[in-house]
Amino acid sequence: MFNALNSLITSGSGVNLLIIMIIVPALLALITIIIPKRSYFGRAILFLIATVVNLLFAISLFVGEEMTMLIPWADFGINLSLRVYDFSQFMVLAAACFAFLVALYSISFMRNKSYSGKFFFYYLITLALVNGALLANNLVVMLFFWEGLLVTLFGMTIIGNAKRPAVAMKALILNGVADLLLMFGIAITAMQAGTMAMDMIVDIPMEGLGIVGFVCMMLGAIGKAGSMPFHSWIPDAAEQAPLPFMAILPAALEKMLGIYLLVRVCLTFYDFTPGSTLSIVVMAIGAITLVLAVAMALIQKDMKKLLSYHAISQVGYMILGIGTALPVGIVGGIFHMINHVIYKCCLFLTAGSVEKQAGTTDLNKISGLGRFMPITAICFIIAALSISGVPPFNGFFSKELIFDAALESGVIFYIAAILGAFLTAASFLKLGHAAFFGPVKLPEDVREKDMMEAPGAMLLPMIVLAAFCIFFGVGNAIPLSIIQPLLGDALGGANFAGWPHSTVLVLISIGVLLLAVLNHYLGYRRTGEGIKAVDHIHYLPGLHQVYNCAEKHYFDPYNILMLLFKFISYLCFAIDRCINWIYDVLFVKTIQGATTAMKNFNSGSTSRYIAWMFTGMAFVLMMFILLL
Amino acid sequence: MPAYFATSMYAFMGAPLLVILVLTLAGRKLAEKWALTVGYIVGIIQMLTSIIAIILLWQYNKASITFSQFWSIQANDGAAYFSADVFSLIALFCIGMVTFAAFYTAKTMIGKKAFQFTNLMMVMILGMNGLALVTDLFSLYVFLEITGVSSYVLISINRDNKGLEGGFKYLIMSAIASAFILVSLALIFINTGSLRYEDISAISSSWMELSNPILILVAFVFLICGFSIKSGLVPFHGWLPDAYQSAPAPVSIMLGGIVTKMVGVYAIIRIVSNLLVESDTVVNTCFMVLALMSIIYGAVAAAGQKDFKRLLGYSSISQIGYIILGVSTGNILGYIGAIFHFFNHATFKTTLFVNSAAVEQQTGLSDITKMGGLHKQMPITGTSNIIAFLSAVGIPPLAGFWSKLFIIIAVWQTNGAIIASIALVASIFTAVYFLRIQKNIFFGPVNEKFADIKEAVKGFKLTEIALSVITIGCGLLFPVLLLLLQAQGIV
Repeated sequence: MFNALNSLITSGSGVNLLIIMIIVPALLALITIIIPKRSYFGRAILFLIATVVNLLFAISLFVGEEMTMLIPWADFGINLSLRVYDFSQFMVLAAACFAFLVALYSISFMRNKSYSGKFFFYYLITLALVNGALLANNLVVMLFFWEGLLVTLFGMTIIGNAKRPAVAMKALILNGVADLLLMFGIAITAMQAGTMAMDMIVDIPMEGLGIVGFVCMMLGAIGKAGSMPFHSWIPDAAEQAPLPFMAILPAALEKMLGIYLLVRVCLTFYDFTPGSTLSIVVMAIGAITLVLAVAMALIQKDMKKLLSYHAISQVGYMILGIGTALPVGIVGGIFHMINHVIYKCCLFLTAGSVEKQAGTTDLNKISGLGRFMPITAICFIIAALSISGVPPFNGFFSKELIFDAALESGVIFYIAAILGAFLTAASFLKLGHAAFFGPVKLPEDVREKDMMEAPGAMLLPMIVLAAFCIFFGVGNAIPLSIIQPLLGDALGGANFAGWPHSTVLVLISIGVLLLAVLNHYLGYRRTGEGIKAVDHIHYLPGLHQVYNCAEKHYFDPYNILMLLFKFISYLCFAIDRCINWIYDVLFVKTIQGATTAMKNFNSGSTSRYIAWMFTGMAFVLMMFILLL
Repeated sequence: MPAYFATSMYAFMGAPLLVILVLTLAGRKLAEKWALTVGYIVGIIQMLTSIIAIILLWQYNKASITFSQFWSIQANDGAAYFSADVFSLIALFCIGMVTFAAFYTAKTMIGKKAFQFTNLMMVMILGMNGLALVTDLFSLYVFLEITGVSSYVLISINRDNKGLEGGFKYLIMSAIASAFILVSLALIFINTGSLRYEDISAISSSWMELSNPILILVAFVFLICGFSIKSGLVPFHGWLPDAYQSAPAPVSIMLGGIVTKMVGVYAIIRIVSNLLVESDTVVNTCFMVLALMSIIYGAVAAAGQKDFKRLLGYSSISQIGYIILGVSTGNILGYIGAIFHFFNHATFKTTLFVNSAAVEQQTGLSDITKMGGLHKQMPITGTSNIIAFLSAVGIPPLAGFWSKLFIIIAVWQTNGAIIASIALVASIFTAVYFLRIQKNIFFGPVNEKFADIKEAVKGFKLTEIALSVITIGCGLLFPVLLLLLQAQGIV
């Protein structure tokens, strides 16, 4: 059927499926926004239809052949050029799947929200832009779609919060900085490669400007994925932005885009070799991100915020994996990205269900929700096990690949990864325990008999995603069979499917997980409350002060950036004052002085005038004598 | 060329004389009644005649038209005759324009002295017209004196202390200038035996080989100093602000608009362009230094003035500096710029003087620091003031922009970038003091004292509008004017 659809579109009318992937969601977005506000149902149905259509096209793209289209556009090699090949086929399909699932969820979640229409609009535009960015085969075209996402990101962060634009500004500025770096990177890359066609750029040597180009592009890519130091808007947005936004953008689509570009930069554009300095730099960024973010996640008392820190931390794993430049690491990174999107989406959706039903996600106010929301709780548990890396869920397999690569690249990175795994498990034990188990505790305005399971439209996506968590774990050969060919010859015939090869690493991982359980049990025993199970780490002497500073945003790169800008603006202000002083005081005083002197000269005394006149005459005479 | 063309030139000399005759014969009462009307009709006639003459010159493709007043052209020695080229005609047009403005605004300012005023004005116009048309230095001197004598009396026509003082100063300084010029003419005459422009142009190229060059040197020094006094270049300018400030409004319009320019600047342009055919570096350098001093001094001094008319006086010093700077370059672009700036200056400075008269008439004050917010009550005066000062500052596309541009380009070509930059920077000062006027008088909060004043009377309004139209129109039609000038080969 899809082949038929594909051939129908590609042949007959001459319209290319690639361009349809971009135009159709955008067009439907425009139609969504013109549907009257009263008819929420109409909007929601159209919105859902748009994502379904997108999914159908994505599937037909997936089953189809590699395609390119090229429309000459501007000079300097800037062409409207799109290309689909195995990697982007897979990414577009994945994006379409998540978009559909989250859309299904949002229809129920967004009901009775005043900004639902805007949300649907931005959602579909985002989808169009993501498709464009994934399919672009020209650096400038990709940058266009990439930057377009900045607009929808700002829009989605600000709706519902129009009176408090600080978070949206923060998101815009941090992403804007990353995008600016990407722009520099693209310029340098295009200069080094001598072309802007992405499929023509292969293995630019890492020397001179090439290093700058690689670093800029890498930072742009990981910035979009939400790595440190471009991360700090995500926890803030988690508190304020609509939850489906968190599930679709920072947790899913942005990760996919960022990692997609990072893989392309590392794998094809640049000659990125294992053990090189830049490889260590990338791994270090990954390791720092994963440890610090998960350490922050550990102490959070809000479900959404805790999850958002995990969304940052997991990027660290992916960057660490890809940064090793080893086949096993890259495969692990990509696989982890897909797994992450599945379970993080699922986790955010469960958080959304909790928010919808209980009215809050503050762990101090809720407890024991598993009794009322069993399906949500089960989905949460599956996803949490998955993110913690418990076999046989999907997270376990991808993490094992990354552990393998990290150990091969350096023990320090392996230790960081293991530490991250421990803290991840600990924080999810705490979160699950606090939210879904223990004694029932509800916010004051919610009565116990009103609490019930989330509606079906919200449950379905969670269940599907949870099922995928298991499916991609047990049947990891299927996703890996798609991912592994991406590496081509570099893979060297290796196959990472099935049970991890290194039994020692698996044992260590399981040991770490058991340690986390033990840690949680001891913490629980000490305090008697699930939410306080990790307080002994939180209030560890020394660590406590660091946590306090972090909670006060002292380490927030955005704040440091803003401080720097403040300093610069003060400096500019001082310079401006100086210039003002020159104009307002110095000039005025000088002219006033000069005028006063001249007034004294023009005193009205004729004799003085005549005296000056003769002085002038002497002057003219002197000039004549001197110049002759 | 038709005969009536040359004959019509007599109008420039004949019309003022005829007016004096008719008014004197008509009897006191009738003369008082019609004097001012006749005056501005003379102005209009002069403007029309000069425009027609320019068009005819252009049509017959001639550089100049020569005609005699009392002697035959063919008479060889000592014959004085008149000649009108495009520059003369532009000057004559300016005289007509300012005359019109002065008479049109004089109605409410002069009152009972209309007859006296008109007669003296006619003498002054006669003098200036003569200046524009003469072809020898001595006739130039004669008309200079005619203009001067009438100006002294006109400045003090109200017979108040201020006017008498201003007139006295002008008289003393002009007398010294006249003495200088006369001495210089005598010395030149000793060497050449003739004062006709074409005869004495010979001395400029070869005066070092003459029998007694030191006399010529002294003659030049006296000539430069004399005309510098007349045109008010720094440091010979002492009388100028006092005279402008103390004269009654129509007279200061006349003085600021045209008289100083005719007796000083016009004469200098004639001497430098006609007499010193081969540009003499010493004379040019001298004028350049004096011009730069005037530009800077005038602008800086104007920035701190409180009296509107006195400020305009200093501004005149600065603008005259620009004209002389253009002349001092000695190249054709500089002359075009100088002549055009001469014309523009007559236009915008007359506008500004008319405005000052209008403001003074309505508020009874000339101290700009005591006014404020008059634009609402006097929109036409305020707007014409803006146009005039923007032209003076040199904002495109107003007329002043083109002339200043030409002058500065010419200076750049001959004297280098530094002097051109000084002239440019001083131009900013022009903006400073004019903006100060505009802000203090027309913009800003309304001074409650002047809450119920009205727009200036009809005469002022019409003059302001007409002059503003000329300023804008000349700016927009400048390329046409330039073509006309080039077709004549005058500069």
